[in-house]
Amino acid sequence: MQAATATARRHDMDSLRALAMLAGVVFHAGLAYSPMVQPLFPTADRGNAVVVDATLWFLHLFRMPLFFVVAGFFTAWLVERRGLAGLFRNRVRRILVPFLVFWPIVHLALTRSTLHAAATVEHPSPLLQWVAQGQRDGELPGAPLATGHLWFLYYLMWMYVLVWCLRALTSEPSGSAAPAWARVLGRLAALPGWVWLLVLPCLLTPSLASVTAPHPAPESLLPRFWAFGFFGPFFAWGYLLRRHPETESRLDRNAPVLLVGSLVAYSAWFFLVSGRSVEQATASSSWPVALLGAFVSVWMTSVCLTCGRRWFGRPSAPVRWLADASYWIYVVHLPVLFAIQYRLMDLDWGWSLKYFVALALTYAICLVGYQALVRHGPIGWLLGGRSHGRRVASSVPPVPST
Amino acid sequence: MNVGAIDIPMVRLLVAKDWKLFEKQLAAYVLAGMVALAFLGNAKPWSFYVGSLLLLIVLVAAACFSISTSLLVERKEQTLGFVMSLPVSPLDFYVAKLAGNLITFGVPFVVLSAGTVAVILLTPLPDGLLVFAVLVFGHVLLAYSVSLGVAMAVESEGWNTFVMIASMVLVNPFLMGIGQIPAITDHLQTDTIVLSAPALAILAAQALLSTGIVVLTGWVHCRKKSFY
Repeated sequence: MQAATATARRHDMDSLRALAMLAGVVFHAGLAYSPMVQPLFPTADRGNAVVVDATLWFLHLFRMPLFFVVAGFFTAWLVERRGLAGLFRNRVRRILVPFLVFWPIVHLALTRSTLHAAATVEHPSPLLQWVAQGQRDGELPGAPLATGHLWFLYYLMWMYVLVWCLRALTSEPSGSAAPAWARVLGRLAALPGWVWLLVLPCLLTPSLASVTAPHPAPESLLPRFWAFGFFGPFFAWGYLLRRHPETESRLDRNAPVLLVGSLVAYSAWFFLVSGRSVEQATASSSWPVALLGAFVSVWMTSVCLTCGRRWFGRPSAPVRWLADASYWIYVVHLPVLFAIQYRLMDLDWGWSLKYFVALALTYAICLVGYQALVRHGPIGWLLGGRSHGRRVASSVPPVPST
Repeated sequence: MNVGAIDIPMVRLLVAKDWKLFEKQLAAYVLAGMVALAFLGNAKPWSFYVGSLLLLIVLVAAACFSISTSLLVERKEQTLGFVMSLPVSPLDFYVAKLAGNLITFGVPFVVLSAGTVAVILLTPLPDGLLVFAVLVFGHVLLAYSVSLGVAMAVESEGWNTFVMIASMVLVNPFLMGIGQIPAITDHLQTDTIVLSAPALAILAAQALLSTGIVVLTGWVHCRKKSFY
């Protein structure tokens, strides 16, 4: 019975991962109507509203942290089932290979569509104007080689390397007591929930204080200290949740308080950050802003985990299908979204209608593409393995995609 | 050398043994290498200095400890006696050591050199540094090959320690030496990557010598009827 529980599919974690990815489309689509990133975002529209900023940056503070918790959870699961060598074999197939395949395609598609938009859009964003000027003067620098919105795949690989490093460094000779890393996780798991909720944000604060607020995506090919300092603890949190399932529901009864607390902290954060563009922001955010952001990240991630257990704990075919599609949608959504938003820029519609149309069309194209071309074909196998698309009725838990 | 005579499963076991013994150190080097790359990625003068120094330390330490763990400690702790009691030929032993070292040193070497190339090309650092960096990595590879060759051929711990230290410390005069060649230094601060004739000649010499030493060591070792 215990073994069955240990290997049972975690529908809540699958669904949370899917939601975190699908929310990425909402986030990227919304940036076009955000006053804060107006000078820097290629699809920045003439119409924008502060309410977009207020919503998007709240989401931004816990969307990827939640994703890394889920990734850490599934990493611990894979290590349990297949060992470290199995983890690396699986992650190379599901993470590294898709990254290497899709990264150049996405990079090329984004570059081409942006250059085309710079030459054709009548109401260009400041960034498109700059590109158009560069094209006219013949001094346009090449697009920087960065991981773009696929940065999380790149960092996941680093996280797996870190898992190996930490396990290898703290392992004990066989036959002796539990390895040091397991003892540390055990001690952390034994801490009361309120310690987690208060101490973890303080640990994250220095990393957030070293970058602008809102924190950027670590798209550079070189690893960034702050990204490990911020996303690493969330990954470790997920790892701990799998190793110590008794900790999972510990924070559940605090969820309403944490939600209210997060909204209050975020209001203060937004008050301090709003009214300036990312371009005007200093190279690093102030410590109070970083601390508030860290509290929102940790508390909202905890709220999401509770909601996931309550609402997505049971199997559901539509949710399962969406969860299967989410990896594909996230990987390819940005070129599709940009192509649509470049065309919407010259229309005299309100920002809310443009936002809705861009979102609806992007989801529709990606979902239709998934069902028609991906789910039962080689791209589906690449992203989700051979069992991809035929596992709703299966009682055997599949290997997680990310 | 009869390649068909290699006992592949046995070689795998020997490599796995070396991997197990070296895993902890390798993890430390990979971790230090990641820190070094992150320092380099900051693209500030002080962090570039710290990162490149740490990178060099990691490479040299990985090279020395890899050889020390897989060959010298094995002799010192008499585990070689145990290995010799197994159905292992000198050729199996050589191939296992070569493969093991290619993993324990080769992996961090390739990752860190690729990372350094990425840093130079993708950050505001002048691209002209690339040739200089590649020559330094070439030297570390050559020093490693010499140390590995000597460790395979010579039992004396003293001589092995001397060769390891000397070959790695020679990176200093090597840096000074290539710093005196205008064809290499003239483009250091520019964004132009110039593979001048002296740079190409040094690189070719490093590659040929490294390969030659490994091949020669293998040839000598495989002619032996017994281990030492």
